[in-house]
Amino acid sequence: MNAHCVTDDELHAYVDGQLAPERRLFVERWLADDPDAARRAEDYRAQAALLHELFDPVLREPASGPVEELTGKLRGRMPGNDNAAPWHARSWVRMAAAIMLIVGGAGGGWLGRGAVDQSPVVQQRQTLQTFAEEATQAHRFYTSDERFQVELGADNQDELNSWLSKRVGRDVFGPDLGKVGLRLIGGRSLPTELGAGAQYMYVNEANKRVTLFVGAPRSGNQAKFGFSQNGDVSTIYWVEGPLAYALAGRMSKEDLLRVAEAVYNDVKAGPRRPEPQQNENQNQQPPQDQQPQQQQEQQPGGVQPISDTHKPKDS
Amino acid sequence: MEPSRQQSGARLSTFGVELEVHIASLRRYARALLRNRSDAEDLVQEALTRAVARADTFKAGTNLRAWLFTILHNVHVNQVRSKASRPDEVDVDSVESKLVTPARQEERVELREMMRALDDLPEEQRKVLLLVALEGLKYEEVAETLGVPIGTVMSRLSRAREAVRAKLANEGSVALRRVK
Repeated sequence: MNAHCVTDDELHAYVDGQLAPERRLFVERWLADDPDAARRAEDYRAQAALLHELFDPVLREPASGPVEELTGKLRGRMPGNDNAAPWHARSWVRMAAAIMLIVGGAGGGWLGRGAVDQSPVVQQRQTLQTFAEEATQAHRFYTSDERFQVELGADNQDELNSWLSKRVGRDVFGPDLGKVGLRLIGGRSLPTELGAGAQYMYVNEANKRVTLFVGAPRSGNQAKFGFSQNGDVSTIYWVEGPLAYALAGRMSKEDLLRVAEAVYNDVKAGPRRPEPQQNENQNQQPPQDQQPQQQQEQQPGGVQPISDTHKPKDS
Repeated sequence: MEPSRQQSGARLSTFGVELEVHIASLRRYARALLRNRSDAEDLVQEALTRAVARADTFKAGTNLRAWLFTILHNVHVNQVRSKASRPDEVDVDSVESKLVTPARQEERVELREMMRALDDLPEEQRKVLLLVALEGLKYEEVAETLGVPIGTVMSRLSRAREAVRAKLANEGSVALRRVK
């Protein structure tokens, strides 16, 4: 009934994801009946997408020295900042900031996606988005029934990792997410647009599930990270080295970001050395602050030897 | 009673990430507003300097993002005002030539047209459009940042979007024809 009482302000609020949830349906019904209004909404979304395409690159640029310095100073000064944690993961923080600021789908959903534009950059991003979408669907599907949630349990993690590595064709492993209260329960392999992918499933004390989807994208993918929200499932995805990751869970962007940070750090640190006893989940965390960056290159096992890394260095 | 808050002591402070997010957002906004990389970083730098000086006026638990954007907005208004009193400093050509957006991106007609449409907007509309469509601020936050009623925010937003829309519809097709 109220469908025809949609105001101009509500159309904007709809596009901007600021509409009261109870009005959403009315607006969508109105848009279905009014092609002009639907086109306006579409154009507004396209404008936002263009603005992001123009200015998001700023997020990947390092800030100037003074701005970095002032950021640190402000962090120390602000009330409510009880924790002066060592700022050990600069690259992660920059990435986290970018994830928070990049809109996944227009309006935060998949609606209207694909109608915007088709530049090569966007196409690449869509490959990664498709990957994230598959991860989201797989999350939804395999968390729906506990009986089929994993193909292979995590009782023997080495077995699980080497089996999934074989499927994906790259060395993959289920990161240790004990720091954020998540325990690996197993994994499965799934077909994706990027070839076989590995899904690792984690569970927390409240029996909430989070899945990490790992795949091998074709090389040269410049799109680095993104966020999407599909219904109640949030997904954060990124590319690190030869692998693409998509982390999915029914939680807020902020909470999921914290899990993503743990994944990111653990992946950077490399797979754990094969140690037979693994049930003391609290004690096997590496010391937090003394983790040299280059450690990943000197990892004794687990990483494939690369034969020709001797690039000619210009001197 | 928020479990995530309580646990945060053991991890990277969420406040730190939040602050980082907002500052990245300020930098993007400043760049979109001023276009010029060094001017934008200067604006953010001055805003942060002021934020540090006034850190104790921020009340924990209130809106950090709106607080930061308000400071940046005020600094910008002051800069514009002081530049206006020294008109010879505003050299349009030099600003134009220092555009830092990679040329590769501007090759696409629609991006170039978007940029131009943005330039043609009155500044008050441009600010609202960028704060909403690029930075994702809530309408109330935009109102607070700019110090105007929310109704003003909505009407500026509406006018900005329609103006850009008209430009993209017209010039886009003209430009396309010219390219072919």
